[in-house]
Amino acid sequence: MTSEYKKPLPRPAMNPEVSKPFWEGTKKHELWMQYCLNHNGHFFYPREVCPICWAPQDRLVWQKVSGKGRVFSYTTVFQPAIPAFAEEAPYIHALIEVDEGARIIGNVIDIPQEDVAANKLEVNQRVEAVFEDVTDEWTLVKWKPIGEG
Amino acid sequence: MSLRGAAAIIGIAELPTQRATPGRSSLGLMGDAARIAVHDAHLRKEDIDGLITEGGTVYPGLVSEYLGLRPRFASGASMMGASGATATTLAAMAVQNGLANNVLVVIGSARNNAIPEAGAGPTGIATELDATVGTAAGAGTGYAMMYKKHMELYGTTQEQLAHVAANQRFNTLENPNSAFQGQPISVEDVMASRYVNYPLRLLECVMPCGGAAAIVVTSADRAKASHNKPVYILGSGVGTDPQTAWQRPVITETPVARSAPIAFEMSGYTPRDIQFAEFYDCYTILVSMCLEDSGLVQKGEIGPFFASTDTTYKGAFPINTDGGQLSSGQPNLAGGFRHVVEGARQIMGRAETRQVARNDLCLVNG
Repeated sequence: MTSEYKKPLPRPAMNPEVSKPFWEGTKKHELWMQYCLNHNGHFFYPREVCPICWAPQDRLVWQKVSGKGRVFSYTTVFQPAIPAFAEEAPYIHALIEVDEGARIIGNVIDIPQEDVAANKLEVNQRVEAVFEDVTDEWTLVKWKPIGEG
Repeated sequence: MSLRGAAAIIGIAELPTQRATPGRSSLGLMGDAARIAVHDAHLRKEDIDGLITEGGTVYPGLVSEYLGLRPRFASGASMMGASGATATTLAAMAVQNGLANNVLVVIGSARNNAIPEAGAGPTGIATELDATVGTAAGAGTGYAMMYKKHMELYGTTQEQLAHVAANQRFNTLENPNSAFQGQPISVEDVMASRYVNYPLRLLECVMPCGGAAAIVVTSADRAKASHNKPVYILGSGVGTDPQTAWQRPVITETPVARSAPIAFEMSGYTPRDIQFAEFYDCYTILVSMCLEDSGLVQKGEIGPFFASTDTTYKGAFPINTDGGQLSSGQPNLAGGFRHVVEGARQIMGRAETRQVARNDLCLVNG
């Protein structure tokens, strides 16, 4: 599958060491996020300092989170910036709030294409993380709608 | 200590906003804008002892080198699209505190395939995450998610916000500096335009262009002798937010919610006193949220406001009287600076066919 994947792979530019546990997690098909021991909350994206309370790195730990959340908001992309996405358009680019409170962006998949094109996805739709092994090295997290409950 | 009335804009320049600027560099365009603004202020190059540039991609040192300036006060604003308004504030602070007498603010961006764009700063999380999800063309991915959330929270409709684009296009029809001069659009045209990324339609998005603008800011004392009617800066606030839209704790709120109250308090005026507004407008939803956050319109009420208010230069409350960026084009990092220049132009009474009737008090969000 390595040669098949034409879309951009993650290129960590801020600090690859810091975000590594996130990508190691996706490889195991698990969603991991940083947790701040000072203010007792999760945050995302990975950092060397807590953006909520400025706790230093030694107060930040990684935790596996539930992988469930809600669509906080979204956009349906009809005209992608990157040509490699063109054949999939339109598709959903969403902001997901996980049950632990942090937010992450990702595609919402498993929706009939005609519903995607008609912008039928509802804000607050309950979703669950699913994982796509796009290359031997990288696994991306995506989201699929699930029932309430 | 307050900025109130301490400094004034006494010269302005704006090059035409163009889809392409063949044969021209950003520095070259800045040189033209600088010359016109200093001439407009009835000053000489030698009178300029302060320089503020965009700064994040083109450092002040390079601009002063290219323009042969040796300022005793120089700085970059480094606030992306908000650099022009931020620089105007910095210029007022500099002259008030005696760091310079006459500050030139100049920002320009060429759009020329032969010359690489100025290097971008740190990419943030974009290459690690956003690129893998597939952002939309332009910068609209985050704005569209704000738009959708605003619709969800406040019942805002796409048709209501289509008025933003249609009214601004009316304002630009006779603007010689506009890339869309003489090309009217209606609310129906906006609604019929294709999606770039829902809920954003093509005519709700800016068109990337090249262009440049400049102003000269001087102290209140010196402004008394100005050739042009001085445009006094009565108050200012400068806020910012995470540059990645999805990192903002409240995605339906802009930094204007924090900067506008400071500007109003400093000025002694309230939103009710404002006669017209020039507001940053890369997308219909952004200018809408900024207008709410400034206090000119109540939070969540922008949809009904635009559906019921004539915001053209002839109307009850004129907004973006030159067409703004949506209808004149966005000259990259000089984009937000046009709002400062147009506000000053209207107050000077030099807006010609689009001159607003009441032109004493303007709120600018660059």
